[in-house]
Amino acid sequence: MAAAFVLDRASILERLGGDEEIYAMMVDMFVADVENNCTALATALAAGDVESLKRAAHTVKGLLATFSDDDGAVEANFVEKNAREDELANLGPAVADIQSRLREVSAVLSAGQA
Amino acid sequence: MHTVLIVDDSDINLALIKALVLKLGECSPVLFDRPVAALEWCRDNVPDLVIVDYMMPEMDGLKFIAAFRALHGRNEIPVLMITANDQRDIRYEALLGGANDFLTKPIDRIEFSARARNMLSLRTGQKFLADRAEHLAALVDERTSEIREREKELIFRMSRAAEFRDPETGAHIQRMAHYSQIIARGLDLGPAMEKLVLEAAPMHDVGKIGIPDYILLKPGKLTPEEFEVMKGHARLGYELLKDSGSEILRAGAEVAMSHHEKYDGSGYPFGLKGTQIPQLGRIVAVADVFDALTSERPYKRAWSLDDACRFLEEGRSKHFDPLCVEAFLAGWEDILEIRQRFRDEEVPQI
Repeated sequence: MAAAFVLDRASILERLGGDEEIYAMMVDMFVADVENNCTALATALAAGDVESLKRAAHTVKGLLATFSDDDGAVEANFVEKNAREDELANLGPAVADIQSRLREVSAVLSAGQA
Repeated sequence: MHTVLIVDDSDINLALIKALVLKLGECSPVLFDRPVAALEWCRDNVPDLVIVDYMMPEMDGLKFIAAFRALHGRNEIPVLMITANDQRDIRYEALLGGANDFLTKPIDRIEFSARARNMLSLRTGQKFLADRAEHLAALVDERTSEIREREKELIFRMSRAAEFRDPETGAHIQRMAHYSQIIARGLDLGPAMEKLVLEAAPMHDVGKIGIPDYILLKPGKLTPEEFEVMKGHARLGYELLKDSGSEILRAGAEVAMSHHEKYDGSGYPFGLKGTQIPQLGRIVAVADVFDALTSERPYKRAWSLDDACRFLEEGRSKHFDPLCVEAFLAGWEDILEIRQRFRDEEVPQI
């Protein structure tokens, strides 16, 4: 289980060249899209669709990395790399962890915007 | 203004890259979340920079780049591919497949700006060179065209010089040259050959410059010996024009040498038969004889058009190449128009 997400606004902003406007837009989009991303992961897993699961995990990995969530990105990377026919049955907990992480990060980001 | 194509299936990435592209200034981003739709757009539009994600549904970044590069004229457009840090193998493959550089996720604005600007500078350089090459090509075309026009004028004047020593007129040169062009068109030789025929035909009698006046201007019938000298104009014309650096003059040499050959082998100077006679000579023979027959001369009246046509038809496979006669008669409306345009009393420019 990854450590709790801590918002490092400074490092994110640094990567965005200090652009608050872009930062705010990214947070809004992330928050708005969290449930879609959770659904994409769950649907792919339930359908046994390896390629879709890999892609969804890859997308989430990128999103979490954008917000400097290295631990969350590692969890997503684990699912991306282990999404194989013979492993799907074991990936349920890992997918659930990513979903939780996405919601956690979303909540922290939303709070940070308030 | 640079057009920057961004292809990524993630809305958040599209929005981020779009915002960063806009910050570069002088850029107009075009966004696609589906690579197939982006490729469709690329068929009709040429971006100045492509930024494409690697992992996408339908078609990954590598396949996208390969398909993009395969489109005509898209081989040099800079492409940046977005990959994760741990996708080293993908990067190697992308480099070999036509990506110019990479962006690493999560995207860093400073790195993005530097790489994107480099790619856009590359594109600006490409466009500058292309514009310059186009400008130079246009300049060369213009100069070549001027030289060609001068060449045409010289040929026309040289041909007239020969004709001035003959009862034939400048209008004869124009008519027979245009008749020759009509035959070339009827033979389906293509626009370039039609033009060459038009420009080379006037030189058919240029060798007459070397024929003594007492023979060339003799009012009565030539003796067999005099006729032998007269026949020499074909070879003289060839000698005058052969080995030229100009394609038109070389064609003129061929016309001069072969326009008195006859299809059945009874012509001169070599007595060539059928397709042994150069095609230019076979074409010009029909045009020259038809115009000579239908023109009035101090020593003869003009033949009627019907009689001249009958002469050509009767001369098929004897004097004339039957295909050239057929092509001439097939262009009859145009022949009449040329006769009307270039009458003996007036000599318009070619």
